[in-house]
Amino acid sequence: MSEIMYIFYILPYVAFAIFIVGVIYRIINWANSAVPLKVPTTAGQQPTFNFIRRTWVDKIDSPSNKFWAFIRMLFEVFLFRSLFRNTKYYVEKGGKNADTRWLWLFAMLFHYSLLIIVIRHLRFFTNPTPKFVSTIEYLDGLVGVAIVPPLLMTGVIALVALAFLWGRRIFLAKERSISLPSDHLILFFMAVILVSGLLMRYIVKVDLSYVKMFALSIITVHPPSPEVLANLHWLFLIHFTFVCITIAYLPFSKVMHFAGVWFSPTRNMPNDNRRKRHVNPWDPNPEVPILARVGIVVDGQVFKSKKLDWNTYYEMYKDQLDEIAENNYTIKPEL
Amino acid sequence: MSEVPEKLEIKQRFPLWKKWLKPITEKDYKPGFYSYMALPKQVNSDFFKMPFGDVVREPLEKDWKLPENWKDIILKEMKDTLEKNRAFKVFMDICVRCGACADKCHYYLGTGDPKNMPVMRAETVRSIYRYHFTPFGRIFGEWAGARPLTEDVIKEWYYYMYQCSLCRRCSLFCPYGIDTAEIVWWTRRLLSRIGINQRFMCISIEACSRTGNHLGLYAGGMAGAIQQGLEELKDITGFELHTYINKKGADALFVAPSADYFATPHWYVMLGYLLLFNELEERYGITITWSTYASEGGNFGTFHSYEAAQLLNSKIYKEAERLGVKFIIGGECGHMWRDKHQFINTMNTLPKNEEWRRFWDDPDLGQISGGLKGIRLDEYISGEHGWIHILELVAALIKHKKIDLDKSRNDHWKATYHDPCNVARGMGMLEEPRYVIKNVMNHFYEMPEHTIREKTYCCGAGGGMLADELMELRMRGVMPRMMALRYVVKKYGVNIMLTPCAIDKAQFPVAVEYWKIPVEIGGPMEMVGNALVLTALGEKPEDRKYDLRGTPIREEE
Repeated sequence: MSEIMYIFYILPYVAFAIFIVGVIYRIINWANSAVPLKVPTTAGQQPTFNFIRRTWVDKIDSPSNKFWAFIRMLFEVFLFRSLFRNTKYYVEKGGKNADTRWLWLFAMLFHYSLLIIVIRHLRFFTNPTPKFVSTIEYLDGLVGVAIVPPLLMTGVIALVALAFLWGRRIFLAKERSISLPSDHLILFFMAVILVSGLLMRYIVKVDLSYVKMFALSIITVHPPSPEVLANLHWLFLIHFTFVCITIAYLPFSKVMHFAGVWFSPTRNMPNDNRRKRHVNPWDPNPEVPILARVGIVVDGQVFKSKKLDWNTYYEMYKDQLDEIAENNYTIKPEL
Repeated sequence: MSEVPEKLEIKQRFPLWKKWLKPITEKDYKPGFYSYMALPKQVNSDFFKMPFGDVVREPLEKDWKLPENWKDIILKEMKDTLEKNRAFKVFMDICVRCGACADKCHYYLGTGDPKNMPVMRAETVRSIYRYHFTPFGRIFGEWAGARPLTEDVIKEWYYYMYQCSLCRRCSLFCPYGIDTAEIVWWTRRLLSRIGINQRFMCISIEACSRTGNHLGLYAGGMAGAIQQGLEELKDITGFELHTYINKKGADALFVAPSADYFATPHWYVMLGYLLLFNELEERYGITITWSTYASEGGNFGTFHSYEAAQLLNSKIYKEAERLGVKFIIGGECGHMWRDKHQFINTMNTLPKNEEWRRFWDDPDLGQISGGLKGIRLDEYISGEHGWIHILELVAALIKHKKIDLDKSRNDHWKATYHDPCNVARGMGMLEEPRYVIKNVMNHFYEMPEHTIREKTYCCGAGGGMLADELMELRMRGVMPRMMALRYVVKKYGVNIMLTPCAIDKAQFPVAVEYWKIPVEIGGPMEMVGNALVLTALGEKPEDRKYDLRGTPIREEE
């Protein structure tokens, strides 16, 4: 029996290995793909003549150089800038748009609560617990201090936000329609993890000293004693297993958006097309257009278009062009 | 042209994932929503030769006459696309299906078709990607939202990739910047590799690759059209004006969308250009030339594929070099400026002529004429690009008080301004047109804030959707814009919507008639033309009696 329990000790290493390798693979895979064109979505006034006013919002949303494009990325990644624009269209009200920032609000709450929760969990993996971890935990519990143990807000907020985010996929027709099983799956994982975690803290009150010993043994790569393993609560094992499964699943899932968004050409490129020429890596020296240079090669067949350079053009329409030349390249109204 | 019913019903449907993973077939195609396919004379032409373009294909027929190994070609090209375009690859991977994009698409709002939600439009491609390029998709099939590539999938792609105008409104709201235009553009490119092309855009692409412009207008025809404009201006202003064409040694090359030579209300904008050029030449000695070889500013290739876009825009820098100009001025057009701002200098090598190089060493218009000193293009442009938008130029001329304007000549107009999608979201020119409009007219009113600037709604006809057979789709897609327009027409009595976009100018007159909104359509340069006092030619502000449409400016007393 006790040997089998060592699976739980092995599990996080496997999960992390898959996660790291997977994420690196995905990132390299994206990075290897070429960027043929500079295509930022310009969401504000372009860089232009100095007398045209550009607000700081314009500078972020229509970045004039790489620095501002980076700022734009930070706003996108940490503040969900684009989601903040969200509107809802009411056909029935004669086509009225209204700001709807619920999705933004709950997405922010969810992601940041998760972040704080992850940071708080560092107390299991460190001895002594670093100051900032206990400070965050203290702040988190400030509102719910009357409850023992102090009710940590992020746990509750994450659960409410999760309910909202899942609820819209279940109850709203449009969102239900676009949801794939995998969209529900990841929410299911999150729900199991959150609920089991909250249960352990507030309802079942699991003895956490063994959990901490177990966590430290993972971090220090010292296999835990059978006694520690035997005393791990079943609820903790569920919590822990799902965390590991989720971590291993991430590289294969849509959750990779956390890394992918950095590669999104519509966001990470500056709107400086007219200042700096972007070179297409697979068409770096386009003296002659591809269709007239090599054509399209499909299935061994070559489909090449004829080049219409000035000389060809001149030969084709010689009479008319000569007439224009005779008029000294000037057009005047007929008298 | 397909008939559009008097009353449009928006029927929303919400199928679950298993249901929508089943591709639609040609039997589900609805008239007014599907595009005709290109004919051999368009895609098997000497100047525009697409793979397997020698076959006539009919969308409603079961057999699409695809090449024998079409599936291998698509999968191979898809792999190639994933390597060639990071945007495509990243956007295949990171969508979380949050739905923020759904009600941002004018076609979804107007049709209620679930696959017109940007997220679903992309999912029709992603599902194939998952099945053929990811292990989870292969193993779990539809449970992972994956499906194999079949002929019906090709039909579904053709239907939905050609119900997108590449306006990028969804990409603005997407938390990861997923740009449906990238997915659609590159999927259309995939389709073109097995002989599937849309007719409307290919007519223009082929014409442009053969004659220099989308209309297929020959050199003489273009010169004649401009001449016609000069004659009209003689009637309106009393002055005998002129302009240059194919002129070597001019200071700047001017490139406009070819619709400006003929179509209405584009025509009035064209007259505006001509007035401005004459005043500038007379006053400052700056010469601006048109070109018959580079006679097209627009680029329908940007709706088709990278290669087609490059084929069309490759002529302009070449012509700038041949004519020996210093810089290029671009006319009023939407997708043209996506192309000119974001694509052209990547897709082509720059002009190598001496004049160009010397001008961009110190790009002050004072180099051309002392009177224009102080207008420095290097405040945002360099010789690595060399294009300025006509409205940017006019804004600078106004700011530096280089031209004289009489606002009151536009007092009979109450205007609103529609931001073309590509000018707003593919370039970011938001303030310049407003600056110009406010300086050339007294009555200007904005549409509601969620429908303008970077959040602007598409006209419903961009990206190749201007085809007549798509009329119902167009009238539905334009609905959000029409609602916003109706609001300002009712509230402020707006009687003209200005837009610097050739496709807008073609779509909106039809749309306002269908939606019964009593408003005219025009371009900002028309208003500039009205207000511009030809001081250098001896015109006084009160001299002008008619505007460019020939209607009296001041009511008879």
